[in-house]
Amino acid sequence: MWRILIGRHEIVALVLLLVIGAFLSLRTDTFLTWNNLSNISRAFSWIAIAAFGESMTIIIGGIDLSVGAVMALAGLIGARCLEAGLLVPLAVVVGLLTGGLVGWVNGTLIGRVRLPPFIVTLGTMSMARGITFGLTGGWPVRNLPQGFRVLGQHDLPLGSLSLPLPVLLMLGLAVLVSLLMSKTVLGNYIYTLASSERALLTSGVNVVQIKTLVYTLCGVLTAMGGLLMTARLGVAAPTAALGYELDIIAAAVIGGTSLFGGEGSILGVLLGAAVMQILRNGLVLLGLSAYWQTAALGAMILAFILLDHWRRQIK
Amino acid sequence: MKGLFQMEPLLRAINLSKSFGTLSAVQGVSLEVYPGEVVGLAGESGSGKSALSMVLAGFYAPDEGDIYFEGRRLRCPFQARALGIEVIHQKPDLAEHLDISSNVFLGSEVGWPLAVKWLKVPNRRRMDKEAARILEQLDVRFSSLREKVANLSSEQRQMIAIARAMTYPAKLIIIDDPTLLLSYSYQQKLLSLIQTWQQQGTAVIFSSNNLDHLLAVTDRIIILRQGRRVAEHRTDEADREEIVAAMVGTADRQQLTPIIWALDSYYRAREQAEKLRHSQTLLERDLVAQDALNRQLIDQLAEQINALDSANVALQDAQRRLLTELEQERKHLAREIHDQAIQDLLSVNYQLEGIGADESVSPTLQDELTDIRDSIRVLIDDLRHICGNLRPPTIDSLGLGAALQSYTHDWAKRTGISVTLDLDANLGRLPEAIELSIFRIVQEGLSNVRKHAHASAVQVCLKHTSPRTLMISLADDGQGLADDFDLSALSTQGHYGLLGLSERVALLGGRLKLQNQASGGLLIQAEIQHPRVAETGGGQ
Repeated sequence: MWRILIGRHEIVALVLLLVIGAFLSLRTDTFLTWNNLSNISRAFSWIAIAAFGESMTIIIGGIDLSVGAVMALAGLIGARCLEAGLLVPLAVVVGLLTGGLVGWVNGTLIGRVRLPPFIVTLGTMSMARGITFGLTGGWPVRNLPQGFRVLGQHDLPLGSLSLPLPVLLMLGLAVLVSLLMSKTVLGNYIYTLASSERALLTSGVNVVQIKTLVYTLCGVLTAMGGLLMTARLGVAAPTAALGYELDIIAAAVIGGTSLFGGEGSILGVLLGAAVMQILRNGLVLLGLSAYWQTAALGAMILAFILLDHWRRQIK
Repeated sequence: MKGLFQMEPLLRAINLSKSFGTLSAVQGVSLEVYPGEVVGLAGESGSGKSALSMVLAGFYAPDEGDIYFEGRRLRCPFQARALGIEVIHQKPDLAEHLDISSNVFLGSEVGWPLAVKWLKVPNRRRMDKEAARILEQLDVRFSSLREKVANLSSEQRQMIAIARAMTYPAKLIIIDDPTLLLSYSYQQKLLSLIQTWQQQGTAVIFSSNNLDHLLAVTDRIIILRQGRRVAEHRTDEADREEIVAAMVGTADRQQLTPIIWALDSYYRAREQAEKLRHSQTLLERDLVAQDALNRQLIDQLAEQINALDSANVALQDAQRRLLTELEQERKHLAREIHDQAIQDLLSVNYQLEGIGADESVSPTLQDELTDIRDSIRVLIDDLRHICGNLRPPTIDSLGLGAALQSYTHDWAKRTGISVTLDLDANLGRLPEAIELSIFRIVQEGLSNVRKHAHASAVQVCLKHTSPRTLMISLADDGQGLADDFDLSALSTQGHYGLLGLSERVALLGGRLKLQNQASGGLLIQAEIQHPRVAETGGGQ
């Protein structure tokens, strides 16, 4: 039992998911309804998408604190473009590019200039957040066109049930990123970077490029999450996704991504994001104050970091 | 080689300096490396060899100075491999969580699609095959190429790092003394590899602590001391003392000589130790092989012996059966003669006596009858004698002792050779087969004495040497055995007496000893074991 827990990091998240799910199904009538489950999955889909990128930065031994702010910024820029009359696909591309740009700045400063990731992304976090306030003067952008809102709100009919579009996107991206990480040479390098950077250097692998690429990819994925969130809410507020970096990092960590780098999987991150959202949802369903949720989340992150630490010691 | 120096240098470093904090590791070093040239870097540890190697390999940006490669100025730090520079470090830099072939091909993965280098999906099968081929060249063997390198020994890991340098076509290979982790045979392997590279036109910068290695493969040796380049020698003209003098930085021969001696003997000793260890492993391997061969031979031999043994047992069995049947047959024959022929002759004799008693028979006929009756009596006596020989009459009824007494008595009378019989007081009864065999042994021994010994007296002795061993000895005062006596040659000469005797003893599981006595004459001693009589009273 312990061996399995130590061997596969996703297992903990899966077990947790099943336990909480079973508990909530028994305690409430509302949990195990398609409507509730579909809402939960929609709600964590953008967090999960951003967490895919976040987990990549964590696996190479870094971290990206700017993700929450980038989500807000990308959503806002997208919304501004729509407001200016740009076509929806173009606006989405511009939003993604915004995220990519922030990510590239992160990656360049961390990879080429060799600044510590924590400081760099803390800086870009404030910058991105500041830009959203500066651009809007604090006011949200409303009245987004229907064509954009569909992205976040539309459900694809699946027999008698319906599957939210963001969830579908999340699953698709999960498969893509998973393949990238597990099958390709790049994925190999990403897993190698944290523990054996010198081996890559000696082997002529351009480590700077990899770091830049990973942070850029993280930015793009985060922007994708931000756009989906904006489309879902129908409003691009400068205060949107405030504190989401915590959720996103938590999703990665609960899903078995090691903060020491070198370990983690996209499936785990998906499960981690689900666990978090279900926990939130469950606390609401059980009638617990929303103010306590953040504390519970923080405690959980700490618990998982401890678990990871303990697992490494046993190994 | 002279022509090389008119060529454009492959690598030119000008006035390189590098310091780590307050420690200046490299100070104003310039050097040039030409294609196909092996340049050695010598120096004590801490002289800046490694730091210089790492700067030249693009790992560290120098604080001052420039590096030109193929005429182009490089921006440091640079991607050595992209330029065709391979680096082998003092300690292998491997990706710990990856397996062996992934490490060998790290950075030069084989896979599909070819064009997009980072989205390439590695072709594991081809990489395994290639890696196995390269490692084979290096004499390194692994049970599985999928083993994680974190689990390997540092020597194995270093060899993987060397193998990695061989996957990529290189123009320059920078080797930063990796031999510390290698055993003697792999050090030699690396040296021969450097020579191969040199022949292929690849330039090599070889930094080493081992002067012998440097002298063996380099074209010239650059000597560093405290981060500075202090001397350069062409290897062909190099004088060991000069190099060491430059390394330790004293021109005073008086002071230098002991240092050189010490260094020299240190290296010699280390080299010797390595060589010894190497030959020891070879020897051990040989021994193991030899041992296996020996064991195989011994097994074969044991098998053959077993086969011979069983054949022998079968043969002895057959012989025993033959002898037993012979005795049975003799017994039967003796009984036939005794019960039939002799009785018939006796009755014929009575009839003849009856006829002779008749008054009407003429006296001449009576005389003739008397003659016939006498010859019949002689015939009967002869037959009795034959019977006795066929089957000692007393042995069944009175036992071995009585039979021997009667036989020796008769024999002495017949041959005129005196016999003394010394029988064990409590001889008791033995199984029939053994009694008969002993009797026959004595019989054959005595007949041997009669035929060959020219003796006048024989001493026959039958004694227990232990409760279950019987010693039969026949000692005569005859001429004894010839000097070139050979028991096994007797059969070819047609003499079966002693041979039959020895076979009988062997069948009983006993030991036979033939030797000349000090007083002259032969002593035959047969020691046989016999079962306890009480237990095998009914035995054969």
